[in-house]
Amino acid sequence: MGSHDLCFRSAAELSRLIQKKEISPVEVVEGHLKRTEALEPMLNSFITTLPDQAMAAARQAEREIQVGKYRGPLHGIPLGLKDLYYVKGIRNTSGTKIFDQFIPSYDSTMAMRLKEAGGILMGKLNLHPLAYGPTGENPDYGPMHNPWNLERITGGSSGGSGSAVVSGQCTLAMGTDTGGSVRIPSALCGIVGLKPTYGLLSRYGITVLSWSQDHPGPMARTVEDCALVLNAAAGHDPNDPASAKLTVPDYTKALRGDIKGVRVGILKEFFEAPLDPEVEELVREAKGVLRDLGATLVEISWPMFQYSAAIAGIIQMAEATAYHRDLIKTRGSELMPMVRLRLESGFFLSGVDYVQAQRARTLFYRQSLGLFDKVDLLCGPSVPVPACKIGTTEVEIGKNRVGVIAALTQYTRPFNLNGFPAISVPCGFTKAGLPVGLQLAGKPFDEEGVLRAAHAYEQATEWHKRRPAL
Amino acid sequence: MAATLTKEMFLSIARSSGLDIEDPHMGELYAFVQKVLPTLRMIDQLDLTDVEPLATFIPSKE
Repeated sequence: MGSHDLCFRSAAELSRLIQKKEISPVEVVEGHLKRTEALEPMLNSFITTLPDQAMAAARQAEREIQVGKYRGPLHGIPLGLKDLYYVKGIRNTSGTKIFDQFIPSYDSTMAMRLKEAGGILMGKLNLHPLAYGPTGENPDYGPMHNPWNLERITGGSSGGSGSAVVSGQCTLAMGTDTGGSVRIPSALCGIVGLKPTYGLLSRYGITVLSWSQDHPGPMARTVEDCALVLNAAAGHDPNDPASAKLTVPDYTKALRGDIKGVRVGILKEFFEAPLDPEVEELVREAKGVLRDLGATLVEISWPMFQYSAAIAGIIQMAEATAYHRDLIKTRGSELMPMVRLRLESGFFLSGVDYVQAQRARTLFYRQSLGLFDKVDLLCGPSVPVPACKIGTTEVEIGKNRVGVIAALTQYTRPFNLNGFPAISVPCGFTKAGLPVGLQLAGKPFDEEGVLRAAHAYEQATEWHKRRPAL
Repeated sequence: MAATLTKEMFLSIARSSGLDIEDPHMGELYAFVQKVLPTLRMIDQLDLTDVEPLATFIPSKE
């Protein structure tokens, strides 16, 4: 098997070959490192690559597997972590030169669990500074480039995670999602990104943006691979006060069912908001695929959707400013200008504003939950536009000119506010060859339902098999 | 969130927050805040009577 082929095998496929000793983790990691060496000058997916450490880990994995100590489906699989997941002894920049030399003294829970599962850390992935922006631009470490068109954004903030996975530099990556930062780059790069229910994956050891809206999440080229990551990473963590106490199922088992009779809510307000016609058409076709698979499509209204950006915005601004308070005052001028402005503006909210937003969040949560009396899943576009050019501040959507931050987060942010699980799966390409994502969301802790529907859709289509010409 | 944020109010909050109000960047920040805050005020349209905030402190059972 050629190394290029290895780089585009899913984790599930690689793990079967590794377990049967038909390929070695060393071969797999070498192949991915070669690809990174070739692509990194173009894509800038990583802030820190770890070739020596990755090779050492691959050799160790090979030895373990040879003596029968196979750890499971992630053993020997190349993965990347967004550069705000702490890994003991490896610098963690959070995407800003301010933290260029910061070396954590402990592992984030996610890093630790993925390491214990046998995952091979290839490096720390580039991101929008402090994860505070949805485009994947970064003046300190350079912008991330979309592998489908190098002049276009990857989306963010987990842009390096998106580009590394779709370009075959990592089989898996972990991003974080506070307003869409897993799902946006997944949609714009043409991969699968899951934001699980708030509390399912531990936030411990991950740089904070907004305590109550930060969600770690897997990014991969298939739905099954996201399920494999959840299997390894989910579970209660006493170090995270928001961590849920629940029994972790085998999420891959959920993929075996069909979606006959599943009620899929088509959110009326999503299609009344500014939406690129090509994206709308591809999502319309995707809805048809779901219907052909046996799902029942139900038009449904979510009146409070219109308030979600304001409610989530106040909470995010207040929490981000509180967390970075000292940094803003002492080193604000070193931050990316838009990140600085967004952080500083949090000072102009009051305690009353924050509490009012949390009260509004209660209403929003109740209404969100009520939607699931009528449906099992919600469906719509992940992002209303395809990837725009790097440097774009406003996008034209039909007759509307919309700020790029508001546009990119339009459909993703509501699920950070209510904490419900949501996934983006590839659902087509524009005429210009840019990927488009379909978003499916479920009720709290129904990752199985979300993954099942996403997998059924994925298996009925070919979009996830397309590769950028790099 | 004040209904209108005058320059004087802006500078007062900026100073008390520890920002350097002599920094020429303050003009840019003022313009940004003036643009952003009104978009957030739409939550004032919601009837929050008898609604508690979600982030209510709950003591641990452990």
